Amino acid sequence: MVVATDTRQTPMAAVEAAQSDQPLPPEAAVLRLHHVNAYYGPRRVVRDISLDIARNSITAIIGPSGSGKSTLLRCMDRMHEVVPHARATGLIEYRGIDLYDKRVDPAAVRRSIGMVFQQPNPFPTMSIFDNVAAPARFNGLVHGRNEAADLVERCLRQAALWDEVKDKLRQSGTSLSGGQQQRLCIARALALAPDVLLMDEPCSALDPVATLQIEQLMTDLRADYTIVIVTHNMQQASRVSDRTAFLTMGEDGAGYLVEEGPTGRIFTQPREQLTEDYISGRFG
Amino acid sequence: MAVEFSTLLKPTSRARRLKSDFVVVLAVAATLIAVIPLAAVSLYVISSGAGVVSLDFFTQDPPGDLSAAGGGIRNAIAGTLEMTALATAFAAPTGILIAIFDTEVGGRVATGTRLFIDVMAALPSIVVGIFVYSLVVVTQGHFSGFAGSVALAAIMLPVIVISTEEMLRLIPRPISEGARALGLRRWRTYLSVYIPTAMSGIFTGLLLAVSRAIGETAPLLFTSLGNNFFTTDINEPMQGMPLLIYRNALNSAFPAARDRAMGAALTLVVMVLAFNLLGRWLVARRRPGRNPGR
Repeated sequence: MVVATDTRQTPMAAVEAAQSDQPLPPEAAVLRLHHVNAYYGPRRVVRDISLDIARNSITAIIGPSGSGKSTLLRCMDRMHEVVPHARATGLIEYRGIDLYDKRVDPAAVRRSIGMVFQQPNPFPTMSIFDNVAAPARFNGLVHGRNEAADLVERCLRQAALWDEVKDKLRQSGTSLSGGQQQRLCIARALALAPDVLLMDEPCSALDPVATLQIEQLMTDLRADYTIVIVTHNMQQASRVSDRTAFLTMGEDGAGYLVEEGPTGRIFTQPREQLTEDYISGRFG
Repeated sequence: MAVEFSTLLKPTSRARRLKSDFVVVLAVAATLIAVIPLAAVSLYVISSGAGVVSLDFFTQDPPGDLSAAGGGIRNAIAGTLEMTALATAFAAPTGILIAIFDTEVGGRVATGTRLFIDVMAALPSIVVGIFVYSLVVVTQGHFSGFAGSVALAAIMLPVIVISTEEMLRLIPRPISEGARALGLRRWRTYLSVYIPTAMSGIFTGLLLAVSRAIGETAPLLFTSLGNNFFTTDINEPMQGMPLLIYRNALNSAFPAARDRAMGAALTLVVMVLAFNLLGRWLVARRRPGRNPGR
């Protein structure tokens, strides 16, 4: 029997759970952050953040510059530690597994948890085709020409780019416009069949038309993926996300979580004065 | 205070224009100072060498007595090509791997290697020759083309390491992070993303190293020694073009020797130029098409 609140059953049920103002049931969370701190050398930039990321939904992380949004996001796929002298403490559980367990291979984490960056970054020496196919091939997900061609078409369709590039797959990925490049990067991430997609201000280098295309795309992808998006654009957060987490910078210079909840409530009835001030533009 | 937009209409002051013109003149003069000797040498080599070069010049070996007319430089061309190719085969992979080690691993060992490479780059080439003499020639008991290759490789190595390191450092962070975020292994990231991205730069450094090695005389003096006969056997003493030029030019009192030296010099210059053009063309061709078509 299908129970509507059993979030293991359907993506729709998961979205409803994410959008409801009830506390998120633990089984609805893909990623669970417990008391996460992040540092660059001796400097703490993220302070004691605990947060659950709901499955099959879009979680927006908003907040002013310097509030640690991107760093927090980068902790979720272990990209934070790529920066020299950067480290994180606390516990991040991904489907019940401690991501920072010694036995966990960070490369494997990044295959399950994909990332899209602020600047579109297609590989400049690869064609559009290879940008999508090569990472999947390197990770042993596809073998042979035909399988690769199928994968490329499927991912480019999913990223709503296929019709624009199908006749020039051999051209360089960098020959595309900024918005197209960003969708190519999304297709590249999707080609690894990730479970979670982390997006770090994916639209901040794009014009409004391209931004709208990416937002539409995110809504379409929600059925199959869990998406976390960092944005400094509050309209964007309210348009696309199911849940919103608001971060701000404390007096010690580290970002902390002010409040988190379904997007509808955060934007209409925030519980914290800080959130209300930020959302209504009275941030000081 | 309001901005004085009316100044836009005022002519630029005379002093300012003079200063600007002065700097332009300086820049042009500096360029000429650099280009004039280069052009003079090129013209001299072409005018003295062009009359010597013929098909026979490339297909015959020199006469036993270098004061005698006739003969060619076939043995020297073959020797130089073989030794340079072998030296590249030694130095290119080693140099690129050292550069990857220095940029990726870092730490104290890498600092040590980098210092060592810098010292190596500053070493006079004659010292490299003597070093390889004691290392290879003395050990083997005879001069050889192999020893020459090792000496040339030692000349090329620091050039390749330094230029490759520079190129790897220039890879934009979004590109390297993009590769890491896709869960690619480190070696895969290098092989398929970093090296191709930096390829044109690495290749330019490689060409620079080849061009440098191909014209070196000093490292060959004590290693490949020179050989008046044609050989491709790497274990025998081997003639190189710079050696041939050096020996014949020393005897330029004899018109035949002088002509042979100038002809060989012209051949060497054209060879280096051809290598460079070929390399650039190859690099340009490897990129995915920016123009339509599949």
